[in-house]
Amino acid sequence: MSSQEPMWYCHECNSEMRPLMVPDPVCASCRGSFVEKMENPSDDPREFHRGGTGADGLGIDPFLLVLQGLMDRGMSPRRPSSPRPNATPGFSFQVRSGSNGPATISIGGSRTLGNDSGGDGDRIPTLSENGEDGQPSIAGPLMAHYLMALLGGRGTGDIFGDAAQSGRMGDYVFNQEALDQIITQLMEQSNTSRPVPATEEIMQNLPKDVLIEGSSMLEKDCAVCKEQFKLETEDPAEQVVVTLPCKHPFHETCIMPWLKSSGTCPVCRHQLVPQPEHHTPPRDSPNTGSRPSSPSQPRGSRPRSPGRESDTGFLSSLFGMIGSGSSSNRESRNARHNRSNSNPENSSSSSRNIDRHLPGGWDELD
Amino acid sequence: MTSISSRRLAKELAEIHSEGCPVGIELVKADDFTCWWFTIEVMGESLYQGEKFTLQFRFDSGYPISSPAVQFVVTDGKQAPIHPHVYSNGHICASILGNEWSPVLSVVAVCVTLQSMLASCKEKQRPVDNDRYIRHAPDNPKKTQFHYDDDTV
Repeated sequence: MSSQEPMWYCHECNSEMRPLMVPDPVCASCRGSFVEKMENPSDDPREFHRGGTGADGLGIDPFLLVLQGLMDRGMSPRRPSSPRPNATPGFSFQVRSGSNGPATISIGGSRTLGNDSGGDGDRIPTLSENGEDGQPSIAGPLMAHYLMALLGGRGTGDIFGDAAQSGRMGDYVFNQEALDQIITQLMEQSNTSRPVPATEEIMQNLPKDVLIEGSSMLEKDCAVCKEQFKLETEDPAEQVVVTLPCKHPFHETCIMPWLKSSGTCPVCRHQLVPQPEHHTPPRDSPNTGSRPSSPSQPRGSRPRSPGRESDTGFLSSLFGMIGSGSSSNRESRNARHNRSNSNPENSSSSSRNIDRHLPGGWDELD
Repeated sequence: MTSISSRRLAKELAEIHSEGCPVGIELVKADDFTCWWFTIEVMGESLYQGEKFTLQFRFDSGYPISSPAVQFVVTDGKQAPIHPHVYSNGHICASILGNEWSPVLSVVAVCVTLQSMLASCKEKQRPVDNDRYIRHAPDNPKKTQFHYDDDTV
């Protein structure tokens, strides 16, 4: 990875950076030309300033030295560090991660954070709150961000283990990949538009008929297994027919597993329990049974695609997911508006059951 | 005892063999009740004229209560159609494969739907979040909770 290339050291402003090649290397911070590539840990230019008591010989790689340099400057602004011949101390470094190209982060220096050269109006309070005696300073939490950005970009596993390797550490992400992963995870967990199963009570109360000779049912098919109802079956359970309120008949053994995942009629999508808005068939065309294409256009506030264009949609569905309160509000609102709903109380309690079997849910495959 | 899924799939397969597939759809293989392949091409005038895509269905034991895992095959030189709802890894963002799946639908019905999805495409392009999605997409498209916000294509 490119960020493993050695940093350069500026002897003029004591910063570690990647120089600007114009075409000779100059310091990215102070534009000084007295810069040195830190290729050889045993000949670290910083030792010259520190008096040779550095990490030499401890087997710590140059990156750690860079980190140490950052800590020295950023975390302990009150401690006078190495002599600064230049009046605009500061440094910058680049983080390369993924395909986003290098991001240059500058800390200190005349045009960056925490320096007194700007007027008060230009200052960012959280960054300069520790500022004293004109030293560059940076608040701890922010420094943590920078450090993590560095770590993430570098993808090093040897310092913080796998966490750093995957670009994630605790609640932090520090590269695009890790952020993608989290968003993907959230999308998979998001259940804002998943079907709501029918309640036990609803299922028990459905009219059940045992097929008898001469029943008009015998001419019909079960739309789930696509087989005609018949009297002679291996399994006597297949002679029990359940008729949904929309008059569509099914084998009991066929429809019950479905209702446990979605409280709708498979044929016409009649709702036995209120479904997320996403699912609601258009009121004016209740019979959309084999409508195989896209879902009905939403009215109003359906959460929009998180993974696609809309950030606000993502946030709202995220919050909808986390805040069960808002989600159940939505459902009860749904319930009130839906005349076909027979049991709003039960439905909102069962709708929070995340572990239920989902249609389109993932069972063992292969 | 044969499972509901294999009984239902056997019935669908028998119908495909006896009645054939709709125009533009051909069965490639259905050696068992876990994985079937079809080719689909769009008939008539469309952006996909002359292109033929391979569609893979994977069934679990919950079929048809649970939806099949449907995606375009993108191995062995096969490619997914360039379409706003089809990711370059072959995954398809279509509501009937997820939330709007119904056991009334069948393998052939899904083929026909996807065929018409392609037929009505107005501009060949990948989904806007294609790169992001395919980087971390699960192997099985059913593990992805797609959000369907576009009914026009």
